[in-house]
Amino acid sequence: MTITPLTIEEELKKCVKCGACMAVCPIYRQTGREEMVARGKLNLIEIIRNNEELPPAWIEAVDHCLLCCSCEENCSKGVKITEIIAAARNHQTEIIGLNPIKKGAFALLKNRILSLARVVKLGSLLQWLLWQKLPNHSGLVRRFTLPGIDSKTVIPALPLKNLDDLLKRRQPVPELQPILFFSGCATRFLHPQIGLDLIFVLEQLGFNAITPKKFNCCGMVTWGAGDKSTNRELQASNLKVLNDNAHIKEVVTGCASCGHALKEYDNLPEDCEILDISELLFRHREKLEQLVGSRQITQKITYHDPCHLSKGQEVTKEPRWLLKLIAGDNFIEMRHPERCCGAGGTFGLTHKEISREILKEKTDDCDATGAEIVTSGCPGCILQLTEGAVVSKSSWQAEHPITLLAELLRSK
Amino acid sequence: MTEPTNPLRTQIVTRLLALGFSKEQIVETKAARSCYGYDATRQNIEPLLALLPENELQVKTILKLATEKGLKIFPRGAGSGMSGGSIPSHDGIIVSLTKMKRILEIDEENMIATVEPGVITGELQEVVSRLGLFYPPDPASLAFSTIGGNVTENAGGPRAVKYGVTGNFVMGLEAYLVNGEKIKCGNKCIKSVSGYDLTSLLVGSEGTLAIITKILLKLLPAPEAVKTSLLAFKSMTGAAHAVNAMLKHQINPSTIEFLDHHSINAVRSALPFTLPDETDTVLLVEIDGPKALVESQSLKLNELFKDEALLLIAARDENEREQLWLARRKLSPAIANIAPHKINEDIAVPLGAIPEVISRLESLSQEINLPIVCFGHAGDGNIHVNVMLDKNDPDQAERGQKAINKIFSITLELGGTLSGEHGIGNTKSAYFDKEWGPVTIATMQAIKKAFDPDNRLNPGKIFPT
Ligand SMILES: Cc1cc2nc3c(=O)[nH]c(=O)nc-3n(C[C@H](O)[C@H](O)[C@H](O)COP(=O)(O)OP(=O)(O)OC[C@H]3O[C@@H](n4cnc5c(N)ncnc54)[C@H](O)[C@@H]3O)c2cc1C
Ligand code: SF4
Ligand code: SF4
Repeated sequence: MTITPLTIEEELKKCVKCGACMAVCPIYRQTGREEMVARGKLNLIEIIRNNEELPPAWIEAVDHCLLCCSCEENCSKGVKITEIIAAARNHQTEIIGLNPIKKGAFALLKNRILSLARVVKLGSLLQWLLWQKLPNHSGLVRRFTLPGIDSKTVIPALPLKNLDDLLKRRQPVPELQPILFFSGCATRFLHPQIGLDLIFVLEQLGFNAITPKKFNCCGMVTWGAGDKSTNRELQASNLKVLNDNAHIKEVVTGCASCGHALKEYDNLPEDCEILDISELLFRHREKLEQLVGSRQITQKITYHDPCHLSKGQEVTKEPRWLLKLIAGDNFIEMRHPERCCGAGGTFGLTHKEISREILKEKTDDCDATGAEIVTSGCPGCILQLTEGAVVSKSSWQAEHPITLLAELLRSK
Repeated sequence: MTEPTNPLRTQIVTRLLALGFSKEQIVETKAARSCYGYDATRQNIEPLLALLPENELQVKTILKLATEKGLKIFPRGAGSGMSGGSIPSHDGIIVSLTKMKRILEIDEENMIATVEPGVITGELQEVVSRLGLFYPPDPASLAFSTIGGNVTENAGGPRAVKYGVTGNFVMGLEAYLVNGEKIKCGNKCIKSVSGYDLTSLLVGSEGTLAIITKILLKLLPAPEAVKTSLLAFKSMTGAAHAVNAMLKHQINPSTIEFLDHHSINAVRSALPFTLPDETDTVLLVEIDGPKALVESQSLKLNELFKDEALLLIAARDENEREQLWLARRKLSPAIANIAPHKINEDIAVPLGAIPEVISRLESLSQEINLPIVCFGHAGDGNIHVNVMLDKNDPDQAERGQKAINKIFSITLELGGTLSGEHGIGNTKSAYFDKEWGPVTIATMQAIKKAFDPDNRLNPGKIFPT
């Protein structure tokens, strides 16, 4: 995730303006504006770079990006588009500065994740005053106006206990093979159950999940926002934890974005291997097949490819193998499983309208399968899909595949 | 990037806003306009304005206003053109048809789709396939180019050998002349000979005659099965004989793509199967239709060539089919490794002339001392000729230019044409009079004049300036 100005220039030159990115960019699909597609963004970044005064069209184009990597995966010239956009955002923050809300949030990340934990916890106690509960435990909507957050945002009910709290009661299993577990912020604070499920599955497979409290945010959001310096600090603190535990080679995560970010770190300890949970399970497929045996999920399920897993890490077959293993013919593909859900880190919060339009196409595709559960290997996508199910009054719920696997393994 | 205000631009914008256009439909600032000044040829000229009409009445409004002011109009689809067809001038208005993207009707009884010009070709194909129908034209850009652009460039792809190109599917059109008046041509009838065939005239007109706003497209029933095979041959002549033999033996492939030995060398290492060392030419053959017929034709293909071909692989499933197609799909990125730049032309020749063209291009390659990589559609004579070079080296750049001239001469001598797919646009207009005599060109120009007397619609395209 480091790209020097010289290579940016070279990357920009690689674009032949073929337009193939138009076929896959979710933002272009909704806006139909050439400035919004990768080709247009690159054109703007190429012609206006060392300019102090950034025209509104430039700022709008650079701002309207989900960093979903769809264009990048589809580009026959291999232009590193998301790197260029992150660099452009960095350029912009240097000129104009970071949006104040992001600035505050990133300061929290940087000044130790634990203070973020305290804020989230306070939020979980106060949430009932500000937010209104939705049916089916699906989430909350706002009661009053809040600055910077769209009134239509659905947020998950914040759990009273985060993953760190819950792990205090965990019985250690030192006899098993150690493996590092990078939970990521979303799992840690919003969906701790995914973390517990993942640890449980690892133990069934013979792994003892090591969960250093000192792991920080992976840095994806700060990179995407162009906050290079915070991103560097976060990377450094995570690298320190990885180096301190360098005797453990495998690092597993259940979050597509964290996995994508970590795999791109420079200077990972030698032999250190970052794995998405589905990749790890696939490696140990024989054992897992034995563990699952003849048990099968009886509900119809489908799968949404998280962008940062499918395009960011090119992991698409492993999650499908897993879902076929646990659901057999009850696993059905949706139309366009690879299309972005519109979450894009903080994009869904700051650009509600477009994000919702993208989400609507996704939930339509989910609805069309008749599935009862929509799975996705990313807590961010799960949040967004949950919001989508509420908005479109769909009958399915969004889950992480690992949750389904854990439930199956716990069942008799 | 702050630019002085242009009173004309301001005037037009004010008028359009008053006439009901929204701000999102008007691309006004210099930076944003620059995103409507390019296509896949990498020229970039930002227009005076870019407008995104949402319906035909808005197209009409724009044209009337432009006529009043005497302004030039440049139609634009997805801007994926390979010959500069949509490139504007600084004093012209881009009319982007991308927001007119409704599929208006799919008439299943008559098997005809009525669409707006901004519909993406691949999306139409997806929608009709859900109804068991098939829209065959398959330019490689189908996932992002528009039907309107396909019609005006008469785009085609590998399936042309069996099904033809876009023009073979256009039953009728509605279009606006540059003065804002509307013409209608064609209809849903299979036989239709009332008056001049303006539909065919507008097909391939590269946006120089009228702005197309509605298109009637013929559909077919979706083929039940498709079978892909890869055949390797010792020589281009051997491969060309094979193509001829297939057609003579009533094997009717939907696709016959070929790769020459430069192409093969470029992709060889990326392939999941091994090609014999002596391979000079590879053919990728696809047969589609009713299951039984596909099976019997594939067997026949195997019988015919099992001795002659160095290698014959028939895909047994979708996965294997994908693997065979890799040879073709990996090609563009792979040949990019040969040299930093390429000049590519899409000439077409009569089928019988393919081996001759390839051998003369081989000699030319030696003469100019630059690699020339050829691949393309062996079933229809359309060849992608790529001169590989480093444009930053002035000497190579000059030799490259010389090569283009020679390539066109060779093509025309063998009864071929400058462009099989991409059109003339502004990148090949300088060579146009090599292909056509003065009387023919004057006749074409007279037609242009009848449609657009003041030369305000997409000027600077097709004809030498
Ligand atoms: C990677 C790549 C692969 C390609 N592969 C193929 C291929 O296999 N076969 C092939 O034939 N071409 C191919 N092309 C070229 C190109 O995609 C086609 O010419 C396509 O038809 C252009 O469509 P467009 O919507 O991008 O039109 P544009 O490029 O925007 O415009 C093309 C021309 O049509 C005019 N025009 C557009 N819409 C209208 C309208 N509604 N009314 C009047 N005039 C209009 C424009 O003025 C211009 O002259 C390829 C291009 C790329 C970049
Ligand atoms: S697909 Fe890649 S090369 Fe083509 S226009 Fe988009 S970014 Fe440029
Ligand atoms: S990363 Fe996604 S949203 Fe951003 S330009 Fe590429 S395809 Fe569009």
